[in-house]
Amino acid sequence: MNTHTTDLSLQEKLKILSDAAKYDVACTSSGSNRRGKQGYLGNAVPDGICHSFASDGRCISLLKILLSNECIYDCKYCLNRSTNDHPRTTFTPDEICTLVIEFYRRNYIEGLFLSSGIVRSPDYTMEQIYQTLYLLRTVYRFNGYIHVKAIPGASEELIAKTGYFADRMSVNLELPTTDSLQKLAPHKKPENLIKPIRQIQDGIIEHRLLIGKNAEMERSSGNRYLHHTIFKDNPYKRLEAQKSIGTSYSLPKRYREQSQFVPAGQSTQMIIGATGENDLQLLTTTQKLYQQYDLKRVFFSAYVSLNEDPSLPTPGTAPPLLREHRLYQADWLLRFYGFHAQELLSEDHPNFNIMLDPKCDWALRHLELFPVEINTADYATLLRVPGLGTKSAMRIVKARRQSKLDFPHLKKIGVVLKRAKYFITCSGKMMYSIPIHEDFITRQLLGEDGRQNWDIEHPQTYRQLSLFDDFHFHSNSTYEDTRKTCLGQL
Amino acid sequence: MLEPVLQPTTVFTCKDQFDAMMTCIYDAWSSRLGHSNIRLMTEPVGNMELFCTYRHIEPDNKKMLSVIRSIQNKISLQAYRMVYQAAMSDQNDKLDTIYRFLIAGFYYGASVIDFLQEPVIMRLMELNRKVGNEAHYFKEFIRFSNMEHHVLVSHIEPKSNVLTLIAPHFADRMPSENWMIIDMTRMLAMIHPSDQDYYLTTLTDQEMERLSKEYEDPFIDLWKTFFDTIGIKDRKNPKCQRTMLPLWYRKHMTEFM
Repeated sequence: MNTHTTDLSLQEKLKILSDAAKYDVACTSSGSNRRGKQGYLGNAVPDGICHSFASDGRCISLLKILLSNECIYDCKYCLNRSTNDHPRTTFTPDEICTLVIEFYRRNYIEGLFLSSGIVRSPDYTMEQIYQTLYLLRTVYRFNGYIHVKAIPGASEELIAKTGYFADRMSVNLELPTTDSLQKLAPHKKPENLIKPIRQIQDGIIEHRLLIGKNAEMERSSGNRYLHHTIFKDNPYKRLEAQKSIGTSYSLPKRYREQSQFVPAGQSTQMIIGATGENDLQLLTTTQKLYQQYDLKRVFFSAYVSLNEDPSLPTPGTAPPLLREHRLYQADWLLRFYGFHAQELLSEDHPNFNIMLDPKCDWALRHLELFPVEINTADYATLLRVPGLGTKSAMRIVKARRQSKLDFPHLKKIGVVLKRAKYFITCSGKMMYSIPIHEDFITRQLLGEDGRQNWDIEHPQTYRQLSLFDDFHFHSNSTYEDTRKTCLGQL
Repeated sequence: MLEPVLQPTTVFTCKDQFDAMMTCIYDAWSSRLGHSNIRLMTEPVGNMELFCTYRHIEPDNKKMLSVIRSIQNKISLQAYRMVYQAAMSDQNDKLDTIYRFLIAGFYYGASVIDFLQEPVIMRLMELNRKVGNEAHYFKEFIRFSNMEHHVLVSHIEPKSNVLTLIAPHFADRMPSENWMIIDMTRMLAMIHPSDQDYYLTTLTDQEMERLSKEYEDPFIDLWKTFFDTIGIKDRKNPKCQRTMLPLWYRKHMTEFM
């Protein structure tokens, strides 16, 4: 079935192997902070840098390619499954290095994102990846960002060796439950997926302690003002992680900068919409991954139907973009806003509301906590107000030290009141006389958010402007959602 | 009843350069005309107003250093960074805003930058943020082309004067490369010879023309190929692409040329 071609030009190879890599979502270059070095090319900036945006609006930060699109596995959702009839090709390590260096010099990219199909065996593939990184770091003297996949099933030694050259490593879980994994990726074993994640985590902890850092990955600096984040209330906290800074066996300071092991941490990715999991399962798994394995990011990828298979959605099904968007919003609530998965979703309420963002949805179910007084509420409480983000909340906390704030002040300091006005008071007064009533506020918010949601779900459509509101509420919501938002409560 | 004496406004003007602006602030302050009776602006002045006297200020190194020192000592280093960045803006109220910000700053001290409900301070914050954002955009979207002898040349047309803000970033990441970034609107160039310090210089028309020649480069095509393939067709979203990468910045970007 495989049509292996050897005499392809670099251009054709690049086309095939970037086309095969594009369904991987992670393209961040953040988390590492490394100065440039004389004689070397590149540095790493903590916030990461996007260098371009592709036609789908996703950022291009790294040269995202596969080492090879040959694969011995037959995962049903994957473009490169062994039974697909595609041209197959493999980069040589030197070709990859040249591309990275020359693209980087022209400021096209921030570094390399290297993944691969499984050629021959996991060990052989990992060895090739290691070779490429070794060449790139030592011979080509590349000092920029490298994100590399750990191949499940490869030997521990190879994964560890690769870790010393990479900024971020990731293992894609792809599917959140064992059942769906068995169904769609029969060759992958869940324990094989978890093993490298655990191993890399151990490596990171060990190395972080060695260079005098805390065992846990850094999180958003605003989190220090929150008391109940998922990172602090962590039932899976490990003993090593409790060791403090400055243990006696840390490296002398002059060696600390030179040595590193996956400094930007690990990430993973899950496919949404290929199998029947609900949002609760996805979000609980996400939270568990942050707590148990201290992952830096969990990515979601709306499933794009590529292969025809009875156990998959038919090709041509639109990717569930709005659902993906809601999950990312919730992911942010976990990492920056001190929410827990159990607060946002529950067994009776297992999916996000298609019409409202997760925070609004939560607030409407907890109206007893509102309105919040802007001049006295603490940072953690402000963050829970719909429409207030980390920046606005921080500005409010700082500005109110100088004088009492009222609504015009809030506008002046750049706080957007579109959603927030239903949930806040300034010196005891609301902006308008607004009944704190679920039905009323829901109706108001729906009117304001409707068009935006429609745009996310239908990115390619153009519409003529209309004087009248016509929100095409096209939703895949459950019967219950529809009833709740349209009939029962309005 | 006595008519109030109409005090004419004095407008202090100077060239659009940081040293001149700082000197202008020094002279305006020490003129003792009263803060409400003066205004500051950068040249060109444009439409002159009636009942105003205009006073041109020449840059003076000593006065500039004295202003910088006072900002750093009496307010904070962060405030100085904000003032510097705001001074690189293309908005014509920037100099006056900086002046009013400093009045407040010398009164409140370091905490002034959090006092955003005060319009002047918010405005300075906005100017600072706008220039900072533009500088960040150029860190992302600058494209170098490879010329003879491995020299990398980039052309940009920024609204704000971002060269001094982005140069440290590129100097850190490409210390051993020869590169230059050319600001085509201001005819300025930041030049970095390999393994040496970078410097700012003005360009003549001839130099400009020589540096704008196009060169054959196989990596341009490779990059375009990559750029076209990496987008997912089922998720095509030009609106999102435009939000993240405004058309304004695409003028000199390889993949859109």
